[in-house]
Amino acid sequence: MEKTTDYILEVKDICKYFPGVKALDHVSLSIPQGVVYGIVGENGAGKSTLMKILSGVYEKDEGTVIFNGETIEHTTPIQALRRGLSIIYQEFNLVNTMTVGENIFLGRFSENHGMRGTHKKAKELLDSIGSSISTTSLVGDLSASEMQMVEIAKALSFDSKLIIMDEPSSSLTSEELKKLGIIINQLRDKGVSVIYISHKLDEIFEYCNIVTIMRDGCVIDTKPVEELTRSDMIAKMVGRTIENEYPPRAHFVGEPLLEVRNLNTNKLHDINFTLHKGEILGLVGLVGAGRTEIIRALYGADKVKGHQVILEGKTVKIPTPKQAKQAGMALVPEDRKREGLILPFSVESNITMASLEDLTHMGIVDASKEADIGKRQIESLAIKTPTPETKVVTLSGGNQQKCIVGRWMERNPKILILDEPTRGIDVGAKYEIYVLMNKIVEAGGAIIMISSELPEVLNMSNRVLVICDGRITGEFNPEEATATEIMDKAIG
Amino acid sequence: MTKTKSNSAVEFLKQNLVLCGIVVLIIVTAIAEPKFVGAANLNNILRQLGPLPFAALGMTFVIIGGFIDLSIVGIISLVGVVTIGLIDPLGQVGALLAGLVLGAFLGWLNGFVLTACGAMTQAEVLFITYGMSSVYTALALIYTKSETLRIARSSKPYTIFTTLGSGNIGIIPIALIVFLLFLILMHLFHTKTIWGRAIALMGGNKDAAYLVGFNVKATMRLAYAINGLMSALASVALLSRVTTATATSGAGYETNAILCVVVGGTTLKGGKGSVLRTMLGVVLITLLGNCMNMLNLSTYMQTVMRGTVLVIAIWLDNRKEL
Repeated sequence: MEKTTDYILEVKDICKYFPGVKALDHVSLSIPQGVVYGIVGENGAGKSTLMKILSGVYEKDEGTVIFNGETIEHTTPIQALRRGLSIIYQEFNLVNTMTVGENIFLGRFSENHGMRGTHKKAKELLDSIGSSISTTSLVGDLSASEMQMVEIAKALSFDSKLIIMDEPSSSLTSEELKKLGIIINQLRDKGVSVIYISHKLDEIFEYCNIVTIMRDGCVIDTKPVEELTRSDMIAKMVGRTIENEYPPRAHFVGEPLLEVRNLNTNKLHDINFTLHKGEILGLVGLVGAGRTEIIRALYGADKVKGHQVILEGKTVKIPTPKQAKQAGMALVPEDRKREGLILPFSVESNITMASLEDLTHMGIVDASKEADIGKRQIESLAIKTPTPETKVVTLSGGNQQKCIVGRWMERNPKILILDEPTRGIDVGAKYEIYVLMNKIVEAGGAIIMISSELPEVLNMSNRVLVICDGRITGEFNPEEATATEIMDKAIG
Repeated sequence: MTKTKSNSAVEFLKQNLVLCGIVVLIIVTAIAEPKFVGAANLNNILRQLGPLPFAALGMTFVIIGGFIDLSIVGIISLVGVVTIGLIDPLGQVGALLAGLVLGAFLGWLNGFVLTACGAMTQAEVLFITYGMSSVYTALALIYTKSETLRIARSSKPYTIFTTLGSGNIGIIPIALIVFLLFLILMHLFHTKTIWGRAIALMGGNKDAAYLVGFNVKATMRLAYAINGLMSALASVALLSRVTTATATSGAGYETNAILCVVVGGTTLKGGKGSVLRTMLGVVLITLLGNCMNMLNLSTYMQTVMRGTVLVIAIWLDNRKEL
């Protein structure tokens, strides 16, 4: 039998309805054995819904699923695993307080005749993917990429024939990403199929053989990756042509606005920098280099003493976020769901929460002014929400991010701090965020942007600071610097 | 078409489950025991409403804020004995005010201890407030030397308390009127003021509230102080009705208050809730107790029923999310 006609997974005409939405509309896919199959699409395109149906989290409403030659009507996550279909979610499913070996065979120790056998088997699995993690170390002590190795080993322990990776690269550094690439190739050589879901198109082009593009719950196109160009792919994802991924760079840099001197903590050493009016300052570095720590200290979110902050020529003390807000700063944090949004609350409440004090007279919040603010920001940022009262948790990632940005836009911040502003949001929404950034600096505000996506930093900022191990190791003009030069400083 | 119709009926049931529960309970009990709807029993029910609604009202704020408070047992006991003890030195008005101030202070003290310890999880809060409760109860024991204090032993007038405890306007007990006043005030506080909003936002996501500039620690102390004040009111309502106070008179109020809040539909996860819905919870729980008394159920069986209702309420709350 020809290998290419041998499908490990066939999905035919799957439909899934949620109240008021058709999440999947006659989706069909055929995944051959031993290929890396990319699925791309904007947030809300239906990728996650499809994966949740395959892994048994949701039930399909219509259609057929044939896995490994067997028609599957109902499945549960554990049945799917035992059949050989495993899924590695963006947020890992590991027990931090248990060891690597225990995590790989969680609940199945007896299959290996006790713990010694478990650790032995676990080591074999890790060896087979070229990982040297000790099976007795605690998962909580591992780096993100090591945790991913453990997840992959766990998937292999079920003798998986198909591994779904949902945004596997979002928490990896570029070094770690290279390792992941090697492992994916090894899996393919072993005949394991991989479904690779990512917003990062470079990875799709690098790893995948076949790509399916989804939009609004439908499959738009499926093609071998060689037959697609980057701009084709984006056009199909968003349903329109995007001329550029980035708007033209803003040039509004003026006089110094903020100076930070002698910022020192356990993790940070001698951080000194200046931010100018109208400037977009990019902070680049590996995950854990101290980028987020710098802005949290500046914003008063972490207790830090001894540094000096000079804002518009005056020394200011910013011990808490409250003072930071009063001084004209705004923070869009890295982890939207954990630190940014109040998920069970409405879009309006999430937008107005930073401005409530201004709407309050004698302790009473002016509800009509509050509704005005909500409406104004929803309109001006084009936040897609049925009503202002809709719970923010139901919005797509991009629209959620816009709610947080809108929250601060209402206050016209002098300094807007963006920590990974486009993480996990789709191409269209990214562009809108970039345009918004340009508007802010045009109005005289300044932006500090942390981003792990180098092209984004290089295309958006006026100046780039490189952070490595808690120190500023380089300063670049992004119009002249190359990615290699910057990464060289970031690795240290 | 029929599908959407039945959906909206289901939706209505989901939204107003407690109200439906109350109606069903009344109908079933009235059929089984007609005396249930008699004037004597209605009066009895209104009077039974006394202290519990106040306690549940305060607890609502702590739970909306994302925390919990087991210390109200101690606060109710300590405030009760101190209030009676102060009638002689301060007069009745002074004693009443001092009792309320003491309650608010003890609540604030809970909040202060919690924020000073950096206790931010529900489990930590649960155990620390449990400890605070023991401290307050022990102070009450020391103050009373384990004796029962009686209002009637005071040498000064104590008419405020007796009026509050047994006075009526028409058939409506004065205590109930006072309570309704506080209910409206607290509802407005929750829905209209920035402080009420701060408590809810904190319950929804402490980290996010902190990063947009709310003082989470102060908000936490505020929520606990409100609960302390409401517990003091519960204590006053209780001592006015029974005209005595002991170092353990608050026993059981914490679980019943939490029960009412949760049955009313305020989620233990924090953030979302309603003062008015808590009152439906109070009505349901009080009626349930009264019905079971009318039907001659043993007190042990009543405890089983209350536990069952709590489990069902949490189960329903979690199903709502799906």
